[in-house]
Amino acid sequence: MAVISVSHLDKSYGKVHALRDVSFEVDEAEVFGVVGPDGAGKSTLFNILTTLLLPDSGDAAVLGLDVRTRYLEIRKHIGYLPGTFSLYPDLTVEENLVFFATMYQSSIKENMPLIASIWSQIEPFKKRFAGKLSGGMKQKLALCCALIHKPVLLFLDEPTTGVDPVSRKEFWEILRSIKQQGISVMVSTPYMDEATLCDRIALMQDGQIMRLDTPKNIIRDFNGHLVTLQTPDIFQLLKVMGQYAAHCTFYPYGENLHVIFYEPLEKAIPEFEVFLQQNDITHGEIEQIEPNIEDCFIEIVKGN
Amino acid sequence: MRVILMLIKKEFLQVFRNSLLWKILILAPLAEFLLFPYTADYEIKNVKVVFVDHDRSTMTTDILSTFSASKYFINEGVVESRQEAEALMRADKVDFIVEFPADFEKSLVRQEPVKVHITANAINTVKAGLGSEYVQTVLGNYFMTMAESTPKVSPISADTEYDMDVFSELETASVSSLALQSGEGQDMQKMQLQLSERMQRAQRDQELMERQAEKAEQAERAKQAEVAARAMNPQLAQLVTTNVYWFNEQMNYKNLIVPGLLIILVTLIGAYVTALNIVREKELGTIEQVNVTPIKKWQFLLGKMIPFLILGLVEFGAGLLIMNLLFGIHIQGSLLLVFGLTTVYLLVMLGLGFFISSMASNQLQAMFIVFFLFILFVMLSGILTPVEGMPQWASYLNYANPMSFFMSAMKTVILKGSTVDNIRTQFIVLAVMAVVLNAAALISYRETAK
Repeated sequence: MAVISVSHLDKSYGKVHALRDVSFEVDEAEVFGVVGPDGAGKSTLFNILTTLLLPDSGDAAVLGLDVRTRYLEIRKHIGYLPGTFSLYPDLTVEENLVFFATMYQSSIKENMPLIASIWSQIEPFKKRFAGKLSGGMKQKLALCCALIHKPVLLFLDEPTTGVDPVSRKEFWEILRSIKQQGISVMVSTPYMDEATLCDRIALMQDGQIMRLDTPKNIIRDFNGHLVTLQTPDIFQLLKVMGQYAAHCTFYPYGENLHVIFYEPLEKAIPEFEVFLQQNDITHGEIEQIEPNIEDCFIEIVKGN
Repeated sequence: MRVILMLIKKEFLQVFRNSLLWKILILAPLAEFLLFPYTADYEIKNVKVVFVDHDRSTMTTDILSTFSASKYFINEGVVESRQEAEALMRADKVDFIVEFPADFEKSLVRQEPVKVHITANAINTVKAGLGSEYVQTVLGNYFMTMAESTPKVSPISADTEYDMDVFSELETASVSSLALQSGEGQDMQKMQLQLSERMQRAQRDQELMERQAEKAEQAERAKQAEVAARAMNPQLAQLVTTNVYWFNEQMNYKNLIVPGLLIILVTLIGAYVTALNIVREKELGTIEQVNVTPIKKWQFLLGKMIPFLILGLVEFGAGLLIMNLLFGIHIQGSLLLVFGLTTVYLLVMLGLGFFISSMASNQLQAMFIVFFLFILFVMLSGILTPVEGMPQWASYLNYANPMSFFMSAMKTVILKGSTVDNIRTQFIVLAVMAVVLNAAALISYRETAK
């Protein structure tokens, strides 16, 4: 059974069309990732599914319950970690946890086993004000507060934005363990590397889902051939590449340039080399590489 | 129930930890009570007067020393010419110019009409108005005593002229003139005094008799009696006009301003603190985190309402105590009634705070909305300026002003000892306002975030 099913969801804020005809389903005990740049509509989608916002049109059901009418029941069974830290900074770690447990008519004792592994990490600081915690600790506390009522489904809106790489890695390990306890997770992130850690991902752009599949399938279905090249002057190269846009999709990737060709490489690379020569571009070897999820996303968004 | 208790506990924890809020809650009333009643006093002291004395007689010297002796005036001395005096006024060195004509004393003795020219700097209209009244009183008193000792004094009139550097059109506007009619002879004078005594006594008796009756009605009757007396003998009546101020016998301005301050205090806590508190939760995003929990909107609002109601009442109680200990104002009516009234008013203000917080998206917006309404309420309520002096349309606006209803009810309960029956209207209006505002807030919150 699908824990979330969304069909033809639409939402506008005045002239801004935040969600356009969004449809998807999330299965039980799945980590479902929503990936996309800022302004793609991720938070709007989360706000609708967590019953904080009403859609303009379309249907959304969480745990089989309509978000429009049965929001109070939905709220009992979901946990939500908003994009920004939203616990009381002037309450201590422990007070925050007790507060939210009470709001859910639950108690810390009851559901300690579920959060024990996370709680053990922040317990030494339980008398500290939540506002005085480090970024990673704040997220762990927020996660504890979101799990304290033993939800069936957990929503995490950009949980790792602004968190250091070590804490990010830890956080994803925690998510995995949460999933193992049978809790479904819907998570959004602007980090492409985190997307591969999800069971399935939805690539979002301009309020639309461009692609929805497992990370493996998305990479497998990469349309075109990806090459990388190095050059001492990437800015000069990017300037010149404008003239070659009809033949390929290109974008800077770190210090390299990634180019996607849609013709067989045997034909495309020699032609490209001639073009570079004509424009006096010195460059390293043009190598074919395996695309990662970020290449896939850019191809889907920018590609012809 | 457990949820609401938790919400209340959380709110108190936060209030007690917010050291700034805590300090404001303690310091604001103290500062208000210790400073405001003294600074917002309608009594004018240290009015600077300069004299242009063209007469230089014993009589004018006498008058000058009377001014010097008064605690209300600072005698800035005598200057040679009017020009010199006006220059001083333009330089803001003096507030009043009193000019005696050359044949002042002579005319008085000859029983010819004499004019004393009083010029007031009307930049501060209150000072000009009250000050000129004081000047006239001093002059009047002088002639009264003189009339008693010297049998023959001529009628005197003092023209007051309000001088305003900025608004020259007001310069020669004669606003009031004191016409002191003295008697023609000693017998007449005596008669007058006897009569005035008798009238005063009569008035006093009348007052004692009517004390139990309703104030408005009484004042009206007293006025009628006075008018009747004046009709009988207009000249005499003018001499014996005595004012008796009921329920505030010394006409102590503090008796009015202190209950007003209490009301301002309660309003600040009710509307300001509540609105800012909720909007802060919006800013922090905590309200979102609470909104995804299954608690209901009314539980949330109740969890905010109870702590701030308690805070407001505690603050109010402290204010009452200060009022009593510091200013010696005793509550004439029932204490329970005072607190009941305040509770209803606080509910109105809390509802207003909630409603504003549902519209504002940050503390700055909330602050401006509350501040704007607060100023409107205060201006119209009659706390700082008398309602009676307002135009008719302003008094219609007051029908939508909870502070005005609260003020009028509080004043009568605290100063006059009114009972529930006397303030039933105010009670009902405030209760209706409380219900409407809180319902509006609840609906507004449901709409914005279910």
